[in-house]
Amino acid sequence: MGEEFRNEYNILGRPVAKKDGWLKVSGQAEYADDIFLPGMLHGKLLRSPHPHARILHTDISKAAALPGVRAIVTGKDFPGIKYGNLPQTRDYLPLAIDRVRYIGEEVAAVAAIDEDTAEEALDLIQVEYEPLPAVFDPVEAMQPEAPQLHEHAAGNISGHSAFHFGDVEVGFANSDYIREDIFETQPLKHGMLEPHACVGTWDNTGKITLRTCKMSPYVVWRQLAMGLGIEPGRIRVIQSFVGGAFSGGKQEAMPMDFCAVLLAKKTGRPVKFVHTMDEVLTIGHMRHPMRIWLRTGVKTDGTFQAQHCKVTANGGAYSSIGQFSMYLGGAMLNLPYRLPNIKYEAQRVYTNNGFCGALRGHTIPQICYARDSQLDTIAEHLGLDPIEIRHRNAIQPGDTTSNGFRITTFGFDECLDRVAEASGWRKKRGNLPKYRGIGVGCGSLISGARLMGHSASAAEVRIQEDGSVQLTTGSTDVGQGADTVLSMIAAEVLGVEVDDVRFQRVDTDITPVDPGTFGSRVTFWTGNAVKRAAEDARGQLAQLAAQKLGVDAQDLVFRNRQVFSQKDQQRCVSVKELVRWGEFHLGQVITGRGAYAAGEELINFRTGFGNISPAYTPSACVVEVEVDPGTGHVTITGIWGADDSGFPLNPLAVKGQVLGSTVMHIGQALYEDLIRIEGKVMNPSLRDYKMPLSTDMPKLADVAHINVITWEPSGPFGAKEAGEGAGTGVLAAVANAVYDAIGVRLKRLPMSPDRIFFALKQRQNELSMQESSSIDAK
Amino acid sequence: MSSLRRLPKFEYLAPVTTDEVCRLLAAHASEAKLFAGGTDLILQMRRRETVPKYIIGLKSVPELTFVRETAEGGLAIGAMTTIQTLLTSPMIRKRYGVLAEVAAGIGGPELRNVATIGGNLAGALPCADFPPALIALGATAKLKSSASERIVPVEELFPSFGKTVAKPDELFTEIHLPNVPAFSGGVYLKFHDRHSMDMTTLGVSAFVSWDEESRVFRDVKIALASSAPVPMRAKKAEAVLRGRALTEDALEEASRAVCEEANPRSSWRATREFRFELLRTLTKRAIRGAQEKAAPAMGGTP
Amino acid sequence: MNGLLPMSLRVNGERHDILAPPWRTLLEALREIIGLTGTKRSCQEGQCGTCTVLIDGKAVNSCLYLAVEAQGKDITTIEGVGKEHLHQIQKSFVQKGGVQCGFCTPGLILATKSLLDDTPEPSEDQIREAIVGHLCRCTGYIQIVEAIQDAAREMARQGSRSDG
Repeated sequence: MGEEFRNEYNILGRPVAKKDGWLKVSGQAEYADDIFLPGMLHGKLLRSPHPHARILHTDISKAAALPGVRAIVTGKDFPGIKYGNLPQTRDYLPLAIDRVRYIGEEVAAVAAIDEDTAEEALDLIQVEYEPLPAVFDPVEAMQPEAPQLHEHAAGNISGHSAFHFGDVEVGFANSDYIREDIFETQPLKHGMLEPHACVGTWDNTGKITLRTCKMSPYVVWRQLAMGLGIEPGRIRVIQSFVGGAFSGGKQEAMPMDFCAVLLAKKTGRPVKFVHTMDEVLTIGHMRHPMRIWLRTGVKTDGTFQAQHCKVTANGGAYSSIGQFSMYLGGAMLNLPYRLPNIKYEAQRVYTNNGFCGALRGHTIPQICYARDSQLDTIAEHLGLDPIEIRHRNAIQPGDTTSNGFRITTFGFDECLDRVAEASGWRKKRGNLPKYRGIGVGCGSLISGARLMGHSASAAEVRIQEDGSVQLTTGSTDVGQGADTVLSMIAAEVLGVEVDDVRFQRVDTDITPVDPGTFGSRVTFWTGNAVKRAAEDARGQLAQLAAQKLGVDAQDLVFRNRQVFSQKDQQRCVSVKELVRWGEFHLGQVITGRGAYAAGEELINFRTGFGNISPAYTPSACVVEVEVDPGTGHVTITGIWGADDSGFPLNPLAVKGQVLGSTVMHIGQALYEDLIRIEGKVMNPSLRDYKMPLSTDMPKLADVAHINVITWEPSGPFGAKEAGEGAGTGVLAAVANAVYDAIGVRLKRLPMSPDRIFFALKQRQNELSMQESSSIDAK
Repeated sequence: MSSLRRLPKFEYLAPVTTDEVCRLLAAHASEAKLFAGGTDLILQMRRRETVPKYIIGLKSVPELTFVRETAEGGLAIGAMTTIQTLLTSPMIRKRYGVLAEVAAGIGGPELRNVATIGGNLAGALPCADFPPALIALGATAKLKSSASERIVPVEELFPSFGKTVAKPDELFTEIHLPNVPAFSGGVYLKFHDRHSMDMTTLGVSAFVSWDEESRVFRDVKIALASSAPVPMRAKKAEAVLRGRALTEDALEEASRAVCEEANPRSSWRATREFRFELLRTLTKRAIRGAQEKAAPAMGGTP
Repeated sequence: MNGLLPMSLRVNGERHDILAPPWRTLLEALREIIGLTGTKRSCQEGQCGTCTVLIDGKAVNSCLYLAVEAQGKDITTIEGVGKEHLHQIQKSFVQKGGVQCGFCTPGLILATKSLLDDTPEPSEDQIREAIVGHLCRCTGYIQIVEAIQDAAREMARQGSRSDG
């Protein structure tokens, strides 16, 4: 499937090399740390050593006297306006003023002539703290006697979400089998290789410029304006190349951003901040660790009757996007299986740890881990094959879920079939040698969300007199390939080459305002905006061509950089000639504009009901593992993934994104854990925060990515999101494979060797005790 | 404040002969640190665990880098020989293959191209991978100062956590491997979570000499990493196996003995309990593996 | 102490005479003094490989190498692999999807160059081992290994290994 779609297009559907790849492979792509401006100073941040403390007094005099130090700022230098993502949960300050709430929280910043001096200056800043009792565990934090982190949050409840659709009691009453399990997931860091970095300037007219590697520059633009107490029009955020993001600090304004611009104001010089990797690993911005209680009722045929899910998330010291995180996990519990009755309650709790936010998949991977692990246990009890039970519950196109998601395309059954075939599931399942296992895990994702506030994307297409196309949007390429796929869309519509399109990196002075690059929205929402903008430009060109060629605008074809009449191909003109003719003779500049807003419908976040996204993507992943029983060591010996991203506009990019997301989640399944003891991160180093390496991957021959191709009518050229959804089922796939290999269910992540070893040992003891007691019984 | 800072200030000295190194050590003693590959020392300095006034760079002392046969039929390795060289050197691979195994398991090419065997020893980290293999091989190290030269068995190099017996004015110049008997072989097995790059959670080296006629162990040496505050030799376990055939019982007894004499710590990296389990598993596998290398089918290559 | 030393570094065939303190790493000298920012700064612990350069053809982490010790050696950075005329390795990385965010890319390309200069027909395992000191969070390594295989094939086909 897909051939017929692909053959319709000149460009879309073919593997296209990433446009900015040529700059990146030669070292010419300018990332934020590569920016060196004349007179630039270097900034460093001072961090709290206490998990919870009052700031009594800060003495910067010795630091300020150090030769080479040009300015120092503390929390009091800012207006004291809290900023953040959602109106109800704005609790960020640029720098702490009178209280710190986690080890590593920023309290002061220095600008000096070089990094060495800035670091030395930090040693000389004297902060007097009054340590306060701290709490690290969310259950403890909810107790009445626990220290309160924020005045507005009684019981340290940072956010919550609850909904109930159908009637779970009725559902459970109708069930033939009910199962209850508790699963726990760990804090996970984004792991991008480029540390956060920025360069701030503040000129004498009061214009602020921040050059930085942000995924969502307009979010930063708005948050900076809010936190500085000025109008956003005075701020210009220029996006540098981004060395990986996956949400987190590159999605929001961070202390370094505020400090860079304020120090630039004080010194009259540009100021650069770059985090060291241990700073990146110590600060907030990570995936919510969650404790998930899940009660599920099914009939003997395996069909879901009811599901009751209670989540406690350790949110850390601040909110970030956490309120939405609580909603999203539960909402997505409604996919990819039919669930007639669902009750969901989630609490996000403040603790004196680094704060949590969004990270590729958000809270969905954790939910899928719990749900799909339990589903295998249910399948085993009922004597059903894991893939078969999933087929029996699969959401179908045209369904509406209990919480109001209206499903259009959803090739989930095909995902299951294709991944079963590619992995050799039927032959392998139950027949692998001892300590080898194969498991499946599934998930799904939205293609962008209708959020409160700004949810629309816009694009502009300007056709230049050399036939090149200047494309501006508010979306960023962070490596995922947005630059290329959006250019492909424009090129397809205009009948030019992808190389003819120049994709502009976001500059808030120039590009159209945008909600941001998150929730896997860019291909769908910005893609639609780009398509409309290109169509608008094409329409203008068509008018000109009709005039110049004396033909009907409707008969015109745009191909190979030419515009010609279908009826008489001799009546033809090149795009660039047309543009020049219009410019020189009519004074007309070809500028196409388009926007996409996916309608007026909004989610009722209070009830949890509503169709949050125009389209949804299902995915299925099969993983094969080998476990060393003597050490608990796991080797992944095969990965097969199938996902329905609608029509894959750039299969090369889709494959890369899917595999990347898959490997990231293998890291969460087996290796990664941010280890905190009394609020202190013990492993703020890439040596000890272990992400997968090349040798952790199976052989190429044992890895496959399969596009299940559907045609999403509301997506640009049939496309939906790609990459983020495909990772959501991986945790369960690994967990289920490990279970198949060793017969023990691990309900805590990561499934590290020691946990596997001792779980296996315990089971072997249990088995031998059963044996001896059955012998005794004889 | 970040814990990985810019490097602290120091004065850099670049001797070109071993004698010069010793003179500089004598002159600056405890204010100076020797800079071999530098991969560990740079990190220690970044973390301000050590802030030496002088750095004595060894990369320009060519006489410290070599692999050559000794008169006694063994091998001498210069302390500045890189780990990558040990991985690929035909002389090493031929008769002391266990050292190539150790090298293969350390980091990746970038680290191996710079890190040295001398640095691995001098750092005295309990998780260092070369000490156990060298101990199992019965290797010795040469320490040189302006005044004297001495040979110390690697086994006796580590008096306490993080320290070697090297005096402030002494330099490791070379490591000597004794000649190995026919029908002998060694392995080094180490455990870590990922498949590469990790610090060693636990390491076991076994070097055995096999009596083919009577099908028993003539001699066994077992040494451990990350099992105690220092790299250690498991003498009890060795005694269990000497003169014995390779049986499941013998292996079981040896692994139990190893657990009795080892003293691994509990840390957030791994618990003591888990390290004991790894010791049990890896000891058996290491002994088996060493025996397979020593047995005639393999031609007795170590 | 002021501590500045005159140093002469030969980078990509060009000589750079600089003044730097002995505690400057090669990475810092390249980026901050010489102005070659293609080599990246990330973990600074030798764990990520983004700072990889070649010293006399061998891949090393420049964050763990002192600039003063790099004198008298041939240093190759990403800028020396190919700019206007790209090396086959660079082309393969782009064409096979081996580049996403690109931050790990310069280091990986140098590691690949070192591998292929030494082992023109590497096995899949040899490729993995050669890049094991490099973290990539975007690609999951699959398309990187494919890119390196492609580069090896193309280079063997073309019979030459560099564009000058």
